Amino acid sequence: MLYLIILLVYTAVDAMACLGLSQQFGVAGVTNFGFIIFQAAGAYMAAVLALPSDSANGGFQLYIGGFHLPFPLPWIGAAAAGGVLALPFTFLVGRRLRGDFAAVGLLVTAVLLNLLVTNYRPLFNGDAGVSLVPAPLHSGMFVGTSNGYQYGFAIGGLVLAVAVYWFLRRITESPYGRSLRAMRDNDKVADSLGKNLVALRTGVLVTGGAIAGLSGAILVDFIGVWSPAAWSYAETIVLFTAVIIGGAGNHVGALLGALLVPVGFEEITRYISNNNPNLPPNLLPSLQWVAIGLLIAVFLWVRPQGVLPERKRVIEPPAQEARTQRTRRWRSSPTPEVLKAIGVSKDFGGVQAVAGVSLSVTKGTLTGLIGPNGAGKSTLLSLLAGTEKVSSGRISYMGQDITVLPAYRRARVGLVRTFQLASEFKRLTVVENLLSAVPGNRGDSFLGALAGRWYWRRDEAGAAERAYALIESFGLGDKANDYAGDLSGGQRRLVEIMRALMTEPDVLLLDEPMAGVHPDLARRIGEALRELCRQGMTILMVEHELAIVDELCDPVIVMADGQVLAQGTMAELRDRSEVVEAYLVG
Amino acid sequence: MASVGFGLITAAVLAISAVGFTLQFAVTNVLNLAFASIMTLAAFVAYWINQAGMSIWIALIASMAVGALVSVALNYAVYSPFQRRGSAPITLVIVSLGMALIIEFGVAAIDGGISVSYNMGQSRTLRFAGLILTTVQLIIIAISVVVMVGVYGLLRYTKLGKAMRATAANRMLARNCGIRAGQVISATWALTGALCGLAGTVFAIDVGSFDPTSTDIFLVLILAAVFLGGPGHAYGAMLGALIIGLATEVSAAYIAADYKYVVAFVILLAMLAVRPTGLLGAKT
Repeated sequence: MLYLIILLVYTAVDAMACLGLSQQFGVAGVTNFGFIIFQAAGAYMAAVLALPSDSANGGFQLYIGGFHLPFPLPWIGAAAAGGVLALPFTFLVGRRLRGDFAAVGLLVTAVLLNLLVTNYRPLFNGDAGVSLVPAPLHSGMFVGTSNGYQYGFAIGGLVLAVAVYWFLRRITESPYGRSLRAMRDNDKVADSLGKNLVALRTGVLVTGGAIAGLSGAILVDFIGVWSPAAWSYAETIVLFTAVIIGGAGNHVGALLGALLVPVGFEEITRYISNNNPNLPPNLLPSLQWVAIGLLIAVFLWVRPQGVLPERKRVIEPPAQEARTQRTRRWRSSPTPEVLKAIGVSKDFGGVQAVAGVSLSVTKGTLTGLIGPNGAGKSTLLSLLAGTEKVSSGRISYMGQDITVLPAYRRARVGLVRTFQLASEFKRLTVVENLLSAVPGNRGDSFLGALAGRWYWRRDEAGAAERAYALIESFGLGDKANDYAGDLSGGQRRLVEIMRALMTEPDVLLLDEPMAGVHPDLARRIGEALRELCRQGMTILMVEHELAIVDELCDPVIVMADGQVLAQGTMAELRDRSEVVEAYLVG
Repeated sequence: MASVGFGLITAAVLAISAVGFTLQFAVTNVLNLAFASIMTLAAFVAYWINQAGMSIWIALIASMAVGALVSVALNYAVYSPFQRRGSAPITLVIVSLGMALIIEFGVAAIDGGISVSYNMGQSRTLRFAGLILTTVQLIIIAISVVVMVGVYGLLRYTKLGKAMRATAANRMLARNCGIRAGQVISATWALTGALCGLAGTVFAIDVGSFDPTSTDIFLVLILAAVFLGGPGHAYGAMLGALIIGLATEVSAAYIAADYKYVVAFVILLAMLAVRPTGLLGAKT
């Protein structure tokens, strides 16, 4: 067989695998340490769909299936197998688990599945693996085919790799792709802005799994055999090395990484090491792995963004004359008390951060929430927004019980929060940060993204118009296309507030929005908030600076030791001794 | 009943490594996946010393020193610079996987990837209470018990142990209270590294014949024990090691021995999915 054919086929296979992994790890921030098992699933599925029953050839190998199906059914089955295998893992990468713990879970799964398949022979012939897998549209194995066939196969593989590239690019460059990147930068905040993390992660796991499965099908038809040795957990690390070196989140970078690491480094040196009788056995393969380990560490240190870093997506401001005035709609509440907490408590391992708080927030007010450090203000805000679950008590919003509604669902009905700590999406520009929060964009779903730009262009243009209007009104126009992570502390707070406003909330929960903001800017934010309340928004704001609360908020709620101490105007509160005492003592 | 004996020995080896791993993670905040590779390296250093004609018990002490040295060096040269730069936890996990490859296959390059075993005298077999154990196995259990008591004493009564607990709970606050977090972290690497080295050699003694990849699967058991007890909880890791050790070996008596790790695997995934803070961890 021509060496060129080998290289071309491996290029196609590794390019697809690296693209799938780059999408998961670089774009969506899902560290799938078990990536190789999806390729393995595809390879086994393609093999047993294409092979005749295992009693053929004297029954020297055992496997399930053996359906002897014609091409392309085995390849379709392989992609499906990779995608379906991803489903049970969505519970690992769901809403609650830390990313590195989930990665460990996937790594362990990869190690164990390999062990199981090795030891359980009836499934896929155990350690020896399945062999004599026929090449597509051909009765025998790949090695027995003509040169013309082999070139055709290699080109077919490369065409599929290009198709995968096109497919992933279409997804990544859409509003849906922006949601994936927002989740990568800060999943908790994406949750609070109405992103369904489980659905987003399921999407990338399944698409990545299907792509890996398809690459496995190409590989198994090419080499004709598939055994556990071909998919040890360490193969995933090779792919990770490729993606890190190429540039995580940049699809061209993933292609470059595939050419440099699995193809260039592994396959070519494997060829050398197999043909040199002067070296001790195992020395070169071992040193190869050592080199992979070194490459990971050195690259993550010297150039963590990779050779080709993720591109910045510049979004031009819309033309002035094209801008239209639009009036927003408010949800109608059956009761003026739009947000109500009834006996809400929160325990943290024995410590009661919030102890039986009942309060109500009236529509159109800018309510202040003050109290000494540790009073439970931020925790209460988290409970109201759904970031944390209540230990007991009930929360109602616009007359409906939302106690068990997850955070992203609350955001979708207009109850949105900001965070006390910096929570901008660092590697999204200012405009992208704002756009990521817009609900109802037609391109912000998997199918919408696939439909292409024409399908969501109008939604995107409208959202960009709103975003630019907001950015300019707060005087951040010259920073619109800067990465949010590069801004000053005050500017980042502003981005957060603007981002929350882009969701068009009915009730906005702000956690110390003015902290670290220049006084002039703080005043401007305050005026803007007051104007929003006049228009119909309701705001509950935690704030430390009493001067600001005095100027903006009415009524004001005072908390201490997890309980509501008093409520009233600032002037009334100043006359109440227990309030003054809580502040002085606390 | 024989399987209970095996279970106790596996639990004894597992407890040493799991306590080392979990303390390392708690204090240094590094989920060090190179832990099992350092075990391998230490076991091989003990082998080379043993080959040079020295007793395995002297080699055992040397392997502890190797584990401590390598761990401290790894932190000093690799993990700590990444942490100072503010790298994400997942970046450190990936780096630690890279370190695992370097160490494991570095050993394989020297060793040639073949299986080896220690030279040690004939071991007598003892029977009591229905258990059949060799003297070597009894010594392993005794070492493990001593280590567990030692860790308890360290955390409970010594200044270093209290400083470790404080640093684990809140590094910034500990520093503000006058604890030299940097020194505590270095000491933790040395201490947990020594436990890692000890575990490596004890593991190798227990399995009899080992090669550079032998600890790959053992890492799964360590992680299962750590996550069962709650990551970062020393006593949780002890409990986890006991449960995982017994569960894998006892289940091996009923299902084929090749599948005994499945139990650990299922426990690990179930804990990650349902209660990632572990049995002894706080509710979230």
